[in-house]
Amino acid sequence: MIIQNFNHKMAAHCESGTITSLLNHGGLNITEPMVFGIASGIFFGYFHKMKSFAFPTFIVRNKPGKMRSNIEKRLGVKFKSYDFKDTVKGQQSLDQLLQQNTPTAAQVDFFYMDYVPSWERVHINVHFLVVIGKKDDIYTISDAYFPKMVELAASSLEKGRFAGGNMSPKGFIFHLDKLPPSIDYNKAIIKGINKACFSMLKIPIPFIGIKGMRMFARKVTEWPKFARDTEHLSHEIMKINILLEDQGTGGAGFRFMYATFLQQAAEMINKPELKELSGELMKIGDGWREISLFSARIGKNRDLGPEKLRQLSEMIRDRADVEERFFKSLSRAVK
Amino acid sequence: MPIPIENLKLDIKKLIMSTLSIDDINPDDVDDEKPLFGGDNALTLDSVDAIEIIMAIQRTYGIRIADQNLAREVVRSVNSIAQFITEHPADAKV
Repeated sequence: MIIQNFNHKMAAHCESGTITSLLNHGGLNITEPMVFGIASGIFFGYFHKMKSFAFPTFIVRNKPGKMRSNIEKRLGVKFKSYDFKDTVKGQQSLDQLLQQNTPTAAQVDFFYMDYVPSWERVHINVHFLVVIGKKDDIYTISDAYFPKMVELAASSLEKGRFAGGNMSPKGFIFHLDKLPPSIDYNKAIIKGINKACFSMLKIPIPFIGIKGMRMFARKVTEWPKFARDTEHLSHEIMKINILLEDQGTGGAGFRFMYATFLQQAAEMINKPELKELSGELMKIGDGWREISLFSARIGKNRDLGPEKLRQLSEMIRDRADVEERFFKSLSRAVK
Repeated sequence: MPIPIENLKLDIKKLIMSTLSIDDINPDDVDDEKPLFGGDNALTLDSVDAIEIIMAIQRTYGIRIADQNLAREVVRSVNSIAQFITEHPADAKV
């Protein structure tokens, strides 16, 4: 059976896209940027030396799962979630929910999604999709990165749901349980913005928010020390482009999606200053895109001498300066 | 007044070639429909070239292609770029 009235839509990011799909299906008319913004999805963290990462890296969004819990708190919606040790029980529960016509989101390792061309598949344990049907041993999937719904063998979905490693999904699924009778969008938007500003400006941890960007700027010149050889270094430098532009960021490290949220929020809660800030953030995103292109170019050309890394460092420091000003203005705008 | 589509396609080819410093291919040899990436077109580009093209489109036509899913579709071929520039709503322009 396939849930007939499920409306598949592409989205910029898998987690915000999945949450948006479930809310839309439940009858709440909300956009992906609005979900992302209310959930305070925008973030920055730089990890120079951590056990979980083989090489220094950075993130541009909040922790996987956090968007769902923030949306629950701020909109008053309820999701039911489950995880499993037993693969059989995991599949049975999913099948039961589908029998009850409940579109169900699942966390998977992206690598096992056979509908993705093999050259694009990488191990990412925090990919989210919506399962909307099953016939024989084939599931129908709404994956926000694909223009149409896709099919996936039960065995592949099981491998994806129960993959091991860092942040393993453990069969995690969730679905919409309840929508509130009414939503105070004004309060939700302001809370979402305040929390994002707090994360970017005030968390007293040196590798988070604007402080994290400055650490990234300082430390990127040390990256050659961690690389095995030029090939490895070029691969890691080019990954800056992937982390900013791909992996469902909506482009330039989620800055464009957050700018769209601010634009929509300006109208929704009648705060025209948010629209101006939206335009500013679009331009900030363009600057991140310049970093993305610069990294991809020097990586591709293996042009990774100290001068180029110093240039990259300067570009990142400049983003930290403009984002610090931006988030201070944003914080003042919602006071 | 909108640019005639054939002129726009030629402009796009010239824009791609100047952006990527390609001077050994005649724009007329570039097929409008064949994929620009990994295909058998006269121009064969990679993902880094794609970002260069996206930014060149933004600079030249004032249209920001923010989302990478959309970007992949847009820069697929000369025709798809031309279609995007022609159809893109004015309110999405920079």
